[in-house]
Amino acid sequence: MNGDDEKYSRKDCLVANTQSSRLADQTARVVFLICAILIVAIIIGIFLFVGINGLRVFGEDPHARNMFTSTNWDPDGANGDPSYGALGFILGSVVTTVLSVIIATPLAWGMALFMTEVTPRWLENILRPLLEIFTGMPSVVIGFLALIVLVPFIKKVVGPHTPNPATSGVGWAAATIVLVVMILPTIISLSIDAIRTVPGSVREASLALGSTRWQMMKNAVIPAATTGLATAVVLGMARAIGEALAVSMVLQGTTLPSKILTPLVFFQPNVNITQAIVFYFPEASGPSRDAYFMLGFILLAISFLFICVSRYLASRSVYK
Amino acid sequence: MSTQISQPALQRESEQRVASLERLVRRLHLNNGIAISVLWILMIIVSLFFLAIIVQLLVQGFPYLINPAFYGADGEGAVGPQLFNTLYMLILSEIILLPISLAAAIYLVEYARQGPLVTAIHFAAETLAGVPSIVLGLFGALVFGSYFHFGISRLAGALTLLCLNLPLVLRIFEDALTAVPRDLREGSLALGSTKWHMVRSVVLPSALPGIVTGIVLSAGKIIAEAAALIFTMGANNPSDVFTLNPFIGSDTLTIRIWFVQTVGSGTVPAPAANAVAAGASALLIVILLVINFSARAIGRLIQRRVTAA
Repeated sequence: MNGDDEKYSRKDCLVANTQSSRLADQTARVVFLICAILIVAIIIGIFLFVGINGLRVFGEDPHARNMFTSTNWDPDGANGDPSYGALGFILGSVVTTVLSVIIATPLAWGMALFMTEVTPRWLENILRPLLEIFTGMPSVVIGFLALIVLVPFIKKVVGPHTPNPATSGVGWAAATIVLVVMILPTIISLSIDAIRTVPGSVREASLALGSTRWQMMKNAVIPAATTGLATAVVLGMARAIGEALAVSMVLQGTTLPSKILTPLVFFQPNVNITQAIVFYFPEASGPSRDAYFMLGFILLAISFLFICVSRYLASRSVYK
Repeated sequence: MSTQISQPALQRESEQRVASLERLVRRLHLNNGIAISVLWILMIIVSLFFLAIIVQLLVQGFPYLINPAFYGADGEGAVGPQLFNTLYMLILSEIILLPISLAAAIYLVEYARQGPLVTAIHFAAETLAGVPSIVLGLFGALVFGSYFHFGISRLAGALTLLCLNLPLVLRIFEDALTAVPRDLREGSLALGSTKWHMVRSVVLPSALPGIVTGIVLSAGKIIAEAAALIFTMGANNPSDVFTLNPFIGSDTLTIRIWFVQTVGSGTVPAPAANAVAAGASALLIVILLVINFSARAIGRLIQRRVTAA
């Protein structure tokens, strides 16, 4: 009699236990799902909010139609009618990004090849932490260092040839070098990942056919890693075009220099997209605030394009 | 049959062949030597450049780092409030970031079936990782600042940092969870535990080293970030900065460096501005170095404990 009771209560207890743990399981599942969907919500939110606010400027102020045809940026209308010509900003971003990627890419690929194929183990143990520290380096620190070391140097060397020696030194040249330092670690580590994914059998096959080490790299490893290497460069470009604070510290311009078809343009105060947003957004209001959202949306669109390109390249790669 | 060909001619021909092969080998080895030395030189230039930057930053900031007044609460050259804010933001952002990204990673690895939802989440994460931090700052100012009415505050800054770090941490956590062997999971499920119980008691402890890596990497990113915070957290401190109130605006070490060198250069005399920036840069580097190396040590420790147990 007594034993029967005990058996029943234990069974009840077990059932209750199972039910409560099932409930916990279901709850956990829903919570996890919400967190996972949050990331989709965030990215959709970014495109919607920045996009809607940015595109609103075209409705609010008909002057904004010159955004992609003029270089005169004056959304508050300080000199007569407001003008929204962002071409100078876009030119600045494109020039600095392209130049920095052109400089950084060969360095990064060489470094990545060295670190995967040539380096002795003891050296790798030194280079790897160095690279990791630089990947996480605060951009303002690089910007500050460029400001007190690089800019005076440029000013001393090229300054006397520029129209206004007092303000020279800052500009696209300094910004490009800052960007090189910023994106080099990124491209190196992504390229290393790309080269690492090439299986050892490819290397062994090449060496077994009698190649030298360089032939093996040139004819077997690099072709096999091409898409990965290209992805690394594209992601480096995405980082370069979005880099804001360090670049704003060494650009310091308000408009494009008057003569942009001389080499000296690289050493005069200049502009790009991120710098304009950083300096003027906090004080902006009304249509001009929306104009800065539009600049942000241009940046967003460009980096989204880069991400799509990198995804496309990654989908074509043989080794993953 | 081929005895018609004279012996000397044959010999000459084979000598020529050997000579040309030797030339080829010599050329290939020369090319190899050139290429490898170019790579060595490249490596030396790049790493010396990197080392020079770090040494230069540490050397020019060293006089401030050993000066106690540098860590004081007020004065033009002191960064006490900024240091406090940096650590505060680090903790606040991690408190928000870790549960959410861990939950999302658990869903993706343990619960979700391969399908459009998982693809969409991965695509979203990849896209979010590529969004420039300045655009995230605009987004944060608009959504967390205006629509959620947090204004310019630490909370808005921390939520913006969540958007910034979520993709990175999610990917590291996912890798950490995926690396847990299948047998462990199956063993646990076979003993009758629910999925959530299995995740809690089996998967998470085994994935701990990877989780620590994620925490450390995101910590470095939070400390180094500034562009996303300028519009959401501002660049100025209220008078009572040493509080835990998340609804006040404040700055961090990185924002301070940027502020005194650009828009705020009129508010601080130039020597003091350079002193603050030099000292704060060196301080940031020291913090990042400490985080980096302690992360390695902790990771190794946990690895040993987990594999030994």
